[in-house]
Amino acid sequence: MSIKTAYSTKPAVKDAAAEVAAGIKESSPGVVVLFSSSKYEPAVVSKELQAAFKNALVIGCTTAGEIVSGKMLKNSIVAMGIGSDVVEDAAVEVVSSIKTENHVREAFASFENHFSVKMAEMDTSSYVGLILVDGLQGAEERLMEKIGDLTNITFIGGSAGDDLAFKQTFVYANGKSYSNAALLALLKVKNGFDIIKTQSFCAMKKKLKATKVDERNRTVLEFNGKPAAIAYAEALGVETEEGKNEFMRHPLGLIAADGQPFVRSPQQTKDNAMVFYCNIKEASELSVLESTDIVNDTRKEVEEKIRSIGSVSGMINFHCILRTLELEQKNQTAAYGKIFSSVPTIGFSTYGEEYVGHINQTSTILVFK
Amino acid sequence: MSGQVKSLIDKIISERSKGNPTIVNTTKTKLILKGIDPDKWDAASPDDVQVISKVKQIAQELGVTI
Repeated sequence: MSIKTAYSTKPAVKDAAAEVAAGIKESSPGVVVLFSSSKYEPAVVSKELQAAFKNALVIGCTTAGEIVSGKMLKNSIVAMGIGSDVVEDAAVEVVSSIKTENHVREAFASFENHFSVKMAEMDTSSYVGLILVDGLQGAEERLMEKIGDLTNITFIGGSAGDDLAFKQTFVYANGKSYSNAALLALLKVKNGFDIIKTQSFCAMKKKLKATKVDERNRTVLEFNGKPAAIAYAEALGVETEEGKNEFMRHPLGLIAADGQPFVRSPQQTKDNAMVFYCNIKEASELSVLESTDIVNDTRKEVEEKIRSIGSVSGMINFHCILRTLELEQKNQTAAYGKIFSSVPTIGFSTYGEEYVGHINQTSTILVFK
Repeated sequence: MSGQVKSLIDKIISERSKGNPTIVNTTKTKLILKGIDPDKWDAASPDDVQVISKVKQIAQELGVTI
């Protein structure tokens, strides 16, 4: 039992699915988590893996790149089989029409029925939630806020990708694939779990207060009473038109209770307004961030977590595509993959990360003890 | 009058966390994400009618009775 991981880069979807299934069979999984390149037909991936593990909960999504123990990959399927000695019970709900509606409450009612305990009363150290969400609907903030309103249970996950095509992303459950949807999975973990949230940035002294926003469209119109792009460039000491060249290195951060930033990454400027990859509330005060070293920072966090826990069965890494692009630019993908060599790990390059809220340029990692 | 915002925030955190330090932190982070920074309000902070209204709304969202 325990946790097994596998991957395949076979070009034909049924061959790739079969290779991955064979690789994780030994775990006799009660739960299978899989992430697949959007080059593989989503409906077939979900159907084949569910058929291979008829009695397991099989969940996953399309990606902008995949991670498996020791490697960063593209155009592959990666999967993790989790035995009942790690996850003793699990349930999944598909939340549909997320662009315009929010059916988290109904999903939670189903979980309460399955586990015979109210979400508000579940032991927060025994249950953990996974969320995988269509990355092109702009729904992550509303979903995470409703989840956080209704329960103290940790939900962690990522936004599905489509290899940077930005056309359509899918989540997998019940042997099917879904768009304009999120899947919520609730796991009862036997030995506990922990979370790593790592973003390689430090806060500079400069702050920007969002004084005028269009929250629905993830747009800041003004910072500190000035057009957003002008205020941002001034904070960095560059000309306005140069500001967009600084986006990757200098996103903004909402500082959380633990003193670490929830990163808000700029996407583009529009007539001196700034569009972000997540929404920013009016009157939020944001720190201008400066990038540090993804590989060294992540290695340190992972090693420290393994040391503090003592024994880790597996990890699932929801890793921002913007971090992947930076690693590729710096030829560091092999070094990043190696960080996860010693522990069964899968992950994917996401269009956003979820932990308490919606985040950018971060890795949120679920660690099974 | 002063300190009402802090008092409301403390009640939300106390009711949701029931003393669990991890949940204290995540509840504070949820408040920050909703636009209220707990660290910016203390017993001497003047009562701001708009902020009080916002905090009461957030309490309702979080299932806390004020």
